[in-house]
Parts: sequence; structure tokens; C-alpha cells
Amino acid sequence: MAGDLRIGSARTRTVSFRFDGEVLTAREGETLAAALYAQGRRTLRISRDDGGPRGAFCFMGVCQECVVSIDGRLTEACRTPVHDGLVVESMR
Amino acid sequence: MSDYDLIVLGAGPAGAAAAIKARSLDLRVAVIDEAPAAGGQVYRAPSPALTATQPDADRARGDALRARLAASGAVLYANHRVWSLTAIFSVIAIGPDGPLTLEAPNLIVAAGAVERHIPVTGWTLPGVIGLAGATILLKAHGVLPGRRVVVAGSGPLLLLVASKIVAAGGEVVAVVDAAPRTSWLARAGAMLARPDLMAKGAGWLLALLKARVPIHSGTAIRAIHGTDGVESVTIGPVDRDWRPVGEAERTIAADAVCLGFGLLPSTDVTRLLGAEHRYEPELGGWIPAVDTSLQTSVPGLFVAGDGAGVRGADAAPLSGELAALGVARRLGRGGDLASEITKVEADWRKSGRFGAAMSALAMPPPGAAAMIDDGTTVCRCEGLSRATLDSAIAGGARTLADLKAMTRCGMGPCGGRVCGEAAAMLIAAATGWDREAIGQPSARPPLRPVPLAAIAGAFDYDELPIPAPAPL
Amino acid sequence: MSALYDLAVIGGGILGSAAACRAAEGGMRTIVIEQQTLGSGASGVNAGTLSLQIKRVRLMPYAIKGHELWERAGERVGFHKTGGITLAFNQREADLLHERMALKREAGAPIELITPARVAELEPNLSRKVVAASWCGEDGYANASLSGAYYRTLLEAAGVDIRERTPVTAIDRRGGAFELATPAGPVRATRLLLACGAWLRSAGAMIGLDLPVRARVNTVSVTERGPALVGTVVGHATGLLTLKQKPNGSVLIGGGWQGTGSPDEGRSSVDPATLLPNLRLAMFAVPGLDRFRVVRSWTGFEANVPDFYPLAGPAPGIDNAFLLGCVRGGYTIGPYIGALMGDLIVGREPELPLFDPGRFATEASAAA
Repeated sequence: MAGDLRIGSARTRTVSFRFDGEVLTAREGETLAAALYAQGRRTLRISRDDGGPRGAFCFMGVCQECVVSIDGRLTEACRTPVHDGLVVESMR
Repeated sequence: MSDYDLIVLGAGPAGAAAAIKARSLDLRVAVIDEAPAAGGQVYRAPSPALTATQPDADRARGDALRARLAASGAVLYANHRVWSLTAIFSVIAIGPDGPLTLEAPNLIVAAGAVERHIPVTGWTLPGVIGLAGATILLKAHGVLPGRRVVVAGSGPLLLLVASKIVAAGGEVVAVVDAAPRTSWLARAGAMLARPDLMAKGAGWLLALLKARVPIHSGTAIRAIHGTDGVESVTIGPVDRDWRPVGEAERTIAADAVCLGFGLLPSTDVTRLLGAEHRYEPELGGWIPAVDTSLQTSVPGLFVAGDGAGVRGADAAPLSGELAALGVARRLGRGGDLASEITKVEADWRKSGRFGAAMSALAMPPPGAAAMIDDGTTVCRCEGLSRATLDSAIAGGARTLADLKAMTRCGMGPCGGRVCGEAAAMLIAAATGWDREAIGQPSARPPLRPVPLAAIAGAFDYDELPIPAPAPL
Repeated sequence: MSALYDLAVIGGGILGSAAACRAAEGGMRTIVIEQQTLGSGASGVNAGTLSLQIKRVRLMPYAIKGHELWERAGERVGFHKTGGITLAFNQREADLLHERMALKREAGAPIELITPARVAELEPNLSRKVVAASWCGEDGYANASLSGAYYRTLLEAAGVDIRERTPVTAIDRRGGAFELATPAGPVRATRLLLACGAWLRSAGAMIGLDLPVRARVNTVSVTERGPALVGTVVGHATGLLTLKQKPNGSVLIGGGWQGTGSPDEGRSSVDPATLLPNLRLAMFAVPGLDRFRVVRSWTGFEANVPDFYPLAGPAPGIDNAFLLGCVRGGYTIGPYIGALMGDLIVGREPELPLFDPGRFATEASAAA
């Protein structure tokens, strides 16, 4: 999937963060799940059961599909606002 | 003596209205919500990063609600996730600054609803998102679900999501509605009672027709295909009981799917606190049994909004006010509230008819279990297929607790909130029992996964209250 | 007239099921009546710890036999023999550990004391604040969630009738037989075994017994799946922590911290005031747990009598009625003591002595 899915204009500054080592940008205050999804980084983890890719599903903190590791702690990407310098690792 | 007369869980339209009404009756009120701001799902505050491209009625209502709540004098604990609740009533939440404990003799639960899902093959692929999730992406984040989107499932969210995607400049390649076209007509009576809301729905439909969006009724997804994400979607007809019939119709190229089958009342809190529940399919399934002012069987425990039965955002504020009046009456405050309670209850019941009709429209009939293929993953957290669950059912599982014990279904981090209804449908399909006979899952703390470090906090080992050791 | 069973067992947990299987194998026509589903009580919701280090000295021979039976059940019950480490973090706990483990060792458990350095070798992710520790290679765990499914298979194979979701509401004696009233109709049997755990007191009352049974409300928590932290069963000198990580990465935390509620209320609840120290103790023992999330805490009833020894034997003063329950360490010992009970009922001499319920001054009055 190509391109950016964001519509409308930003009103906060652009910040950069790391996702599995890759430097990406986001609008400050955007949730991590939305920022990743909007730029096509939809796979947030690999299922330990079937080896298949998984990504954000409910965007409201229920399904736990978007859980990522930040500073070694598990947290839902859909409840985490992006800030400059955030370092995010996916669950493998 | 507690600091508050009332704790409200949830700051959506029902919870906010409850808090504002309770403040107007001079009660001391605290409101807890896990979102960064009040508004709930329907009036969710836009991300601070987002400038709205166009004025939006929901956004305006949400802003007004936030302003009124802020002015009411209720104390709002936003960004707080409740993990423990005990009678009568102690609430522990984890917030940005650590654990928060609040106590009050009355609790209004306005926890809203979660989406009902019927698993289809490929629904675990990235790019498949819930219909409710799609509304959050669109409204709060200004993000399209995809470039070529299939919107599928049942109920009014189909039209809402599809029309929002179109309005935002996205392409909806298909709306796939399991319900036959006639089932909308069957609910026309209740809808006609609210011409304003019906006009809203008609507006969505018109926008879709204008954009030439194909709408397939009596149709469901057979499978979603792709390697790293959604690439295409195969759809096919279903019968009146939503059983797939005949050959698949077509395969549509798509990069995203928005999927959902109506809303389920969130009853974690009322189940956790031991309230009685009853099964009411027209209102989304299991709901707490309540008196005329929405008090449950647990004294002091009230419910409001979709958690009391899915009636939609329009009826939610009245239910919040009604519950607040019930709390005031219980505390002997605000004088004689009997006539006001009678009036608000009548208004609420009337205004809830439209939403309840919409909710009923989304409700899958028992045959919908046939949409789930043997190999389809049902429990996403634990990676359990329908075949795995069916073999446990064949081995004697008759409740969600049995299935959990035998297969770990619902044991993962979502706690069965995504797969529980589908699992219950499978038990019903195998046994021929009614959904009601299968009962509800048990609710246990924490209500959402909580980091051990957040619960434990800092402590001194020597101060742990270790009781006397067990007898030798 | 409904069929006459040789034995009716009230309670489809490990104890009742094991006794029923043994009785059926001995030729008795047997039925198990369970108010919910098989293994849905304490048998299914306990932490599944199989640790000789936390067993009572007098029950050690029974526990060792229990371990053998669970090991034989193997994969069907998720059995894992991992060895277990018990930790002491201060001198008081070290003294307790030394004293208790010596007695348990004398009673036959292969327990040895190990140094903190050895602990760090065996389990590098445990706290470095250990001052004393013990090890038992026979320790491990099984998956209590599978108790119901496992015993369903055994009961069916033994030809035992199973009636679930069937509460017994009254017990009468008519013509030399017990008649059990249930919503699904009466069940008649010449012998009766009450094996209904925390509900023993109310079931006993139906046959005129005043049993001094109290229920403890034990709390267990589980985390979501995470990276490997510990391979053995980890305990605490006081017995107030049991912790193990399953092969799938989830960590199960128990230790008998008390929740609220009672069998009469029909429900029990987690008490955050006891859950908190339970989780803190777990985090102190295994600091890496700070990166895990708790997904669920729950409670289950464990029945006890004042001396914390089992009730296992004939019901005092009531011919052909038997009691079985209140086994401290019941998950470990249950399969074995249940089978002993079955032996007693079919008229065989049990391999090890049972625990006569008559030791309590129970008032037996002839049932009508």
C-alpha cells in the first residue's frame, strides 16, 4: 500500500521516532497506531501461533493487537501519543 | 467518609450527562475515563495533531459536552485505566502519575459498548480493522482506513463508515451487508419515529449512491486474502439466517477491510460486581437488570448509555441523567424527584427506540456461525481456529469458561472481549442451545491488561504484610 | 422409579471424580453429580503447583503418590517436572526454611538446601537478594484448567454417569437408599460420597451433619505471554508465593493470598489489598516481571477444617455415607486420596490410612 492515508492538515510539529530501528515521522500527539497505520506500517507484530502478520484492529484499547514494546514495556500503540525520540520495538 | 458521593466510569455522552446532572443536584462527583479527554467513542476528541478539514456535527457536540463537563465541577480523571473495582465502591485506576484509588457509595457505569465480531478467514491480516476502529481513525486521527476499502458486516455503522470514507476522499469498493435489504424495512416503524435520525441515515445512503459505491445486501465476506496485508476480498450470498449459500460471487481487489456486526454492551464492571443480568437480543445481548432509575441489583450500582443496552448516542444523555437522578434519590438529595424520574425515563425509553432498532438490525441470527470456516482463527490472542474450539465443544465444553479451560480461548490479553461472542455462537451452533443458555463469561480484574510494575509501584520488602506461614 | 446406583458422588472435582473412577472400576454402578461442570471449582482454578516443598509433613507420603499420578497423566494435564526453588530473603525466613525443609526431607521429600550462588546458576533471573534457598527436583506443575477435561475422559472410560449443571437440593433416606433431589429429578443410590469442596458444609447439613468446614478464598494471577524468565517453580519460605512460567511464556502467580466472598454467597472476588502484596512479592522474587502485564486475577474456594488435615472417611453416624475434602494441597494429593476413598467404598483396605471425619465432634442425626 503506497502513500500516506492522512487527510486534512497538521497543526502540530513533525517529530521523528524509531520503529524497529527505522526512523519515521509523525505529527506530535498523534497516536503511535494511527501514525504507523497512516504511513503503511500496518504490521505491528508476528503471531507466535500462526506466524502471520498482525496489526492494529480496534484502535480503542480492547483487542491488544497493536501492543508494542517501548523501553522494554508492553503498551498499546493506539493509546500511546508519539513524541520526539520515541523508540518502539515490535513484538516478535 | 468518601470524598465523593458518586463515581462515574466513562466520560462519553452518558457518563458526562450523568456527571453534569449529578453536579446540578449538588453531588460530589468524580469521572474516570481511559481516553485523554471526555467524549467517548462517538464524540471522541480529535488528536491534538489534527485540524478538521470540515465542520462536523459530532465534533461540535463533543466540544460542547467537554465544555459543559469541565464547567460542571465534576472532577475528571482522564487517561486513567480502571483495573480493580470492589463493592461498595472502591475503584483503583492506573493513571499517568501512578495508581489512583477513589471511593464512593454510588457508582454509575457508563462504559459503552464494544464491537461484535464474526471471524472470517483472513480477518487477522493487517488492514482489517473494526468498523468502530475505522470511525476512530477517521474522526479522531484524520486517517483513511485504506485506498480501496471494503466495508462489511451488519448494522448502521456500515453506512456511517462508508460515507465518512467517501466524504474524506477515499474509495469504498463495496459495502457488504449480511442483512437482507428487507430487514431494514422491517424496522422502519421505529425509525420513522425519529425522522431526523432517519434523514441522517438516508443522507449517508445518498452519498454512497452518488459515489456509485456498490452495496451488497444479504452478502458476507467469504475470505480476505493477502500476504502482508489485505490484497483482495471474496464475497458471496448468505440466506436469511446469514448462512453462506451457493458459490462465492466475486473477488474484489482492496487494501483494507472495515468489519463489524453491531455493538455489544460492555458489562465487565457490572458482572465483576455481581449484578444480575438478562439476555435482551434487541439491545445487543446480555445487559444488567435495572429498576426504573437504572439501578442494578447491587444497591448503589447504576448503569447508563450503551452498557445498559445498545440504544445509541442519542438516548445516552437521558440515561445518564436518569441514573444521576436515581443516585440523588438514593442519597435523599434534590427533594422529591419522583415526577422528574418518571418523565426522564419516559423520554429515554422513547428516544432509545431508534437506536435499539438499529442495534437489532445488526444482531446476527444463529445461522451466522456458519460464516466461520473450520480453519478460521477465532481467538486472535491465542491463535485458535474454529476447528480447535469445535473439538473442545465436542469434548464437553458448554460454557465460555469450559472453552477457556480446555483451549485457552479468551485467556489472552483481550480477555475474550473480541472472540467471546463468536465462541458462544459456536457452542450454540454445536448444541442447538439458545445463546442465552450459554451464559456470560466471568469478569475478573484487571479489566484490561495492566503492567505489573504499575500495580506494584515502589515498595519496601520488609513492609510487605506477609501473614503467618501455613501450618507445618 | 429411577435407577438405583451403588454410589452417588456429589462433586465433580478431582477428589470426587477419582473416587468415582475407582468405585466404578471396582464394579459399582456410579454417578457423579456436579452443580456446575466437571473441574470447575478449586480443581480447575488453582495454580496447578506440584511442590513437595509446600506440602505438610504428615501428608508427604500422599503428595509423593500424587506426583506419580500426575506424572503418569502427563501431557493430558500439562504436566511438567521442572524442579522447584524455595527462597528466603531474610534471616527469619531462612530459619523457617531450614527448620521446615529438614522435617519434610525426613518425611521422604528429596529436598536439599542450596546456596544463593547455586540459585543464581539455576535461575539467573531470580532476585539477588536471596539469603537461603532449597531445591526439590520432584517439583513442577500441571495445568489445573485441564482437570475437568481429563477426568471427563477417565469417568467416561470407567462407565460413570455424569450429571452436570445439577445442584442437589435435598437428601433423604428411603428404604435403605439415599434419594437426592435435583432440578432434573431424583437420583437414588445405596451409597453416598460428599466430595463437593467448599460446599461440604451445606451438603453435610442435608444429611444432618454439622461439619466444621471453612472456605479459604485463594487468589491466582496470570500474565500475558512474555520472554523466558524462569524455568522452575519458584516459592517463598512462608509458602505465600508460588510462581511458574508456562512453556507459552505466561507466568502464573499464586501463594494463597485471600480474596473475599464465601460459598454461601455463591461468589468470591479478588481483594486488591491482598493482590498487591502478592504481586509485589512475585516482583521481588523475579524482578524481570516488571516488564509483564497481568491479564487476569481470579479466586477459588479451598475448603479446610480446623486442623487443616483432610476429611476422608465414613460420615460419622450415617451408614453408607462418606466424606472427602479439605485436603491441604488438594490438587497434588487429590488423585491419590480420591482413589483411596474409592477403595474404602468398595470395601478394600486403602494402601495408606485415611483421615477419619469422626475426629470432630460432629452431630449426626438420622436422616428422615
